[in-house]
Amino acid sequence: MKRLYRYLSPLLILALLLGSVSVAAAPVPAGDLVSTQAALSAERPDADRERIHEILSRADVQEQLIAQGVDLDEVDARVAALSDDEARQMAEQLEQLPAGASVVGALLFIFVVLLVTDILGLTNVFPFTR
Amino acid sequence: MTTRRFRQLLNARFAGVLLSAASMMLAGCATTPQLADATEASLPLRASIEGVPFHAQREYQCGPASLAMMLNSQGVDVTVDTLIPQVFIPEREGSVQPEMLATTRRHGLIPFVLNNTFDALLIEIAAGNPVVVMQNLSLPAWPMWHYAVAIGYDRETDEMILHSGEEAERIESFRRFDATWARSDRWAFVALPPGQLPEAIGAFRALDAIASYEQVQGPQAALPAWKTLVARFPTTAMGHFALGNARHVLGDQEGAIDAFREAVRHDDRLAVAWLNLGLSLQSRGDSEEAHHALSRAAEIPGQWQTRAREALKTH
Repeated sequence: MKRLYRYLSPLLILALLLGSVSVAAAPVPAGDLVSTQAALSAERPDADRERIHEILSRADVQEQLIAQGVDLDEVDARVAALSDDEARQMAEQLEQLPAGASVVGALLFIFVVLLVTDILGLTNVFPFTR
Repeated sequence: MTTRRFRQLLNARFAGVLLSAASMMLAGCATTPQLADATEASLPLRASIEGVPFHAQREYQCGPASLAMMLNSQGVDVTVDTLIPQVFIPEREGSVQPEMLATTRRHGLIPFVLNNTFDALLIEIAAGNPVVVMQNLSLPAWPMWHYAVAIGYDRETDEMILHSGEEAERIESFRRFDATWARSDRWAFVALPPGQLPEAIGAFRALDAIASYEQVQGPQAALPAWKTLVARFPTTAMGHFALGNARHVLGDQEGAIDAFREAVRHDDRLAVAWLNLGLSLQSRGDSEEAHHALSRAAEIPGQWQTRAREALKTH
């Protein structure tokens, strides 16, 4: 079994890497012209380095999403639908991005504070305070 | 110390902590949001969008539920169950903003992020566009992030109407709504089919939104959006440039050249438009005019000079 893994894991890594590259959404091909996406990102400094960074970002986002339990069948399409900016944002700070979910830790002290702020109209945690 | 006195002391201290915490919060936000004078004058007193279907959220899935309402309201036939594997992150037990936008694109609509103002939110609702908003229903220290769909408002009673969580047409006071919305920096977006633009959108936000959509759905799908963009913002050179590129990829050489000409007419410092104009003219065999356009591109300092000079050499 162990031997099997030894052969299998480099293959899996390779497959993941190759898969990631195809995921990098290319700018709309404009033939020999400069594409709109390239022109827009060129307004920011250091566009070439950014482009490479974006390709790496998408591979990174893909890996992170898989690690966070996203379905393997879905992950390609999900990453491909991100804009370059969004892909970079996800790659750099997925952990810090707020995720809309509606749950809160229920410590008693927090409960009381939130109850008060709810009554003051600053928050909206408990439905009965309206 | 008797038990009674001890309890009084404890109560007093506890009340003090709460009071100071509360006053700190009060200093921060929670005033009824003010509208700009121009908005104040032109905005209807109340508005509500009929026929936005409601999907109650299950567990943590306010993201997929809000998205389903939004997509359905624009005639995209998709269920919450389809959207969950597309936008929900199981380990995070939630959905993040970039993926809310990306998933909208996958379903053929363009997500336009609004400019973080209360004005823009109400203007969109008055224009009949439901708006997805992100709120932190709790305090910054213990966030409770939440997506909802804003579908109406009443400026006489100062109330918002939202499809939110498990409640359809929930009424929230402006003050409470804005306090919770402000914690996401007033993040909001509308989703529209290509060819329609939000009422309260600037040229550059619209450009970015359409360019990102084009990257996912291709120039054929984006073409109507570029046309609407140049109609709404005729003096934005980048819009004409983008329209020219879409036409070029779709094989409309004449149309592309026209659009590039418009671009440089409105901004004769837009080197990249001179460059694409020159290259298009060159491939059509219009060498004299191509030479002029490429020379302009080569003159303007910036990163397109090299390509322009190369093109001039092959001339």
